[in-house]
Amino acid sequence: MAWKLTVFILLLVICFIFPWIVSPLWLRIGTEVVMWAGLAQSFNIICGYTGRLDFGHGAFFGIGAYVTGMAMTLLGWPFGLGLLVSGIVSALLALAIGYPTLRLRGAYFAIATWAMGELIRQIATILDITGGAFGLQLPAVLNLPYFYYMMLLVTGLTYLTTYLLVEKARFGYKLLAIREDEDAAEMVGVNTASTKNWAFALSAFFPGVLGGIYAYWVTFIHPDSVLGGQITDVMCVMAFLGGIGSLWGPFLGAIVVQLIQRVLWVVWGEGTFYLVIIGVTICAVILFIPNGLVGLLEGTGLFSPKESVNELKKKIKW
Amino acid sequence: MILQSHDLVKSFGGVTAVDHLSLEVEKGSVFGIIGPNGSGKTTFFNLVNGVYPPTSGTITFNGRNITGLRPHQIAKLGIGRTYQVPAPFTKMTVLENVMVSTFMRSSSLKESRKVSWEILERVRLEDKGNSLVLNVTLEDRKRLELARALGTRPDLLLLDEVMAGLTPSEIKEAIELIRSLRTGELTIIVVEHIMDVILSLCDRIAVLDYGEKIAEDVPDKVVNDPNVIKAYLGERYSARN
Amino acid sequence: MELLLQTVIDGLLMGGLIIIIGVGFSLCFGVMHIVDFAVGEWVMLGAYAGYMMVRHFGHDAMFYLPVIFVIFSALGWVIYPVILQVVSGKRFNPAIMGLIFTFGLSITMKGGALTVWGYHIQSVPTWLTGKTLYLGPLTIPGLRVSGFFFGILVTLLLLAFLYKSRYGNVIRATAMDRDTANLLGADVRKVGAFVYSLYAGITAMSGALIGALFSVHSVMGAKYTMLAFFVVVLAGMGYVPGVIPAAIILGLLQSFVSVYIGGRFNLAALFLVMYGVLLITPKGIFRRGW
Repeated sequence: MAWKLTVFILLLVICFIFPWIVSPLWLRIGTEVVMWAGLAQSFNIICGYTGRLDFGHGAFFGIGAYVTGMAMTLLGWPFGLGLLVSGIVSALLALAIGYPTLRLRGAYFAIATWAMGELIRQIATILDITGGAFGLQLPAVLNLPYFYYMMLLVTGLTYLTTYLLVEKARFGYKLLAIREDEDAAEMVGVNTASTKNWAFALSAFFPGVLGGIYAYWVTFIHPDSVLGGQITDVMCVMAFLGGIGSLWGPFLGAIVVQLIQRVLWVVWGEGTFYLVIIGVTICAVILFIPNGLVGLLEGTGLFSPKESVNELKKKIKW
Repeated sequence: MILQSHDLVKSFGGVTAVDHLSLEVEKGSVFGIIGPNGSGKTTFFNLVNGVYPPTSGTITFNGRNITGLRPHQIAKLGIGRTYQVPAPFTKMTVLENVMVSTFMRSSSLKESRKVSWEILERVRLEDKGNSLVLNVTLEDRKRLELARALGTRPDLLLLDEVMAGLTPSEIKEAIELIRSLRTGELTIIVVEHIMDVILSLCDRIAVLDYGEKIAEDVPDKVVNDPNVIKAYLGERYSARN
Repeated sequence: MELLLQTVIDGLLMGGLIIIIGVGFSLCFGVMHIVDFAVGEWVMLGAYAGYMMVRHFGHDAMFYLPVIFVIFSALGWVIYPVILQVVSGKRFNPAIMGLIFTFGLSITMKGGALTVWGYHIQSVPTWLTGKTLYLGPLTIPGLRVSGFFFGILVTLLLLAFLYKSRYGNVIRATAMDRDTANLLGADVRKVGAFVYSLYAGITAMSGALIGALFSVHSVMGAKYTMLAFFVVVLAGMGYVPGVIPAAIILGLLQSFVSVYIGGRFNLAALFLVMYGVLLITPKGIFRRGW
């Protein structure tokens, strides 16, 4: 038990002094990893804890990017304010979308949110105020550690909030109850509609803010880069690979996936084979380790490859 | 009268599951509802509980019209319910299952936990408290259903065929358990198939057939009612006798 | 007036082609309650299969349609047990797991296609290319007409099979009530495998046709996944007969939006309508969906 705490503190220290001990290249990578850790966790809140598959979750990231981008370029607002507004707008949008859609279950909700995400991307491409298909340019600032710490702050907040609200408080129990059996939860007095809505809004707030930071960091955003389906895809893989429904799963998943991505980049060049690896990884995770790497480490839920293959064989032999 | 239904009707497409049903249940009593399969007993519970709204008619609870309210609102007002086929939160522990139901009336997690242990003791599940529901037997799951319903601290408890699937000795235990719940102001409505259970537990019984009430009285009178016999055993039997 | 008629014709023809994809997809969901996120990728793979066969063996693309059907049916038969494994109870949440798994499949297929064939857009020539029918003031491309009739034909065949043959009835019974069908002697697993391989075969075959009609491109899958979803949501998930009117509505919608509002708004209109349908009548416009 004590060594777990030591490892944790060590990691924390490394996170804090990171910018001063690595090269700018690694700082960039680290910033991205931290960002994705936060994004994956936000996806985990609505999917892992509440049991709703949101295939359009990446849209909140893109919206946050655009809100901050437009606030800074069109309204001249300062960065901090832009971030706050990004988070709030994302959360409000989630409430607006959630109110009618959270009634839907399973596949329906997945398709509805997927459609919503695509729709938002289309709208961003069509409108002129967002720069349309030409994208949006933000003022340039070169201060890598600053962005790293911003990402770290927000991601840290994401994890802290998840820990306090979802793992430790009654809110979390309600979410799990909803995930397990929504009707039964309603029956014992849980206001499922309101609880789901708040979970959704919470899960949208953090990507919104992270999106805002991202926009300022990369200085140029485009509907395909921040509102494309690939954002949701990656969030999803990270959360599932790491361990859906667990606190540290998304973090682990973010590190591993980013690592794979970098390795493949080096080995194959900017390649599409990466997609194959991602796809196969998802399938393998679902088949063999549905509780993710965290599940593997905890010793729960490894459907041993041998077991699974045997079961498969049984099913094919008919 | 703690619960009253006025002219309650529920139709699903072409089928009328509940047909102008009017009932009154007295506070503190145990009221039984029996009837052949498909007579509308569970539908009635679903209407009282808020699972779906009636096609027409009203339901009054403690003087308040609860027709059309959502289940969690009705639970807050004081109606608890168990299901025929238990529907627990499988990936949580037995204790956590009960805790969720206590949230409404407890002010903190600590209090919820304390109350939940008490309830588990009451239904004699305290030794399974920290087990995952996944690993728990059917009989225990039925107790858990009851525990969860009790967690909402109800004034009215709806028990839907709790005896189904239990062995005779388990049934005896269950009857004892339900009897022990009667201390205090709790009103219970029991839907059951097994005659002995109904006769031994209930103060009054209503009999449903095809969604209609065909009899309502004290147990002895109901059992000898010719309409009831006809409904259960068929026209020919009662004609012969 | 001419423009209106032309728009309508274009819409109808477009819809006709989408029908087969929708039918297979709806059937898959109706019988096994599996939403296959990889549906567009099956189309894409079928298109590439057609392209490769024409390139290596010659003959006309149309010739290979049945071949592709057989190959991909076999493929579906092989993959099905894996999918079944994923959606069976023990896991976190079977429905979600199934969705993510097929989603993973779609990414794998797309990545594979991109790696093997790259971003180039290929075209597949067939005897129908360039043949146009002129009906008065209207221009009707021969390819599209054949696509339309092909779609209708395959759908009618499938419906005839489902409603008139014995095994078809078994399939529909399984879709309606799995447990009872099981009790009555239907081997539910086999039915599932049969339906899934049928679905894979039909979808890939229509992909080959689409490849010939339009073009073959590694990332074309996404568009057809969207179209499949739209059609099936509109028709009602699992309600196969509803696919024909739904696909025609889709075709008309796309056509009208393209002509009267602007091509850019096509997908936006599509999504808006699908989103609206999901909210207002999630069981489809005929209310017969699952």
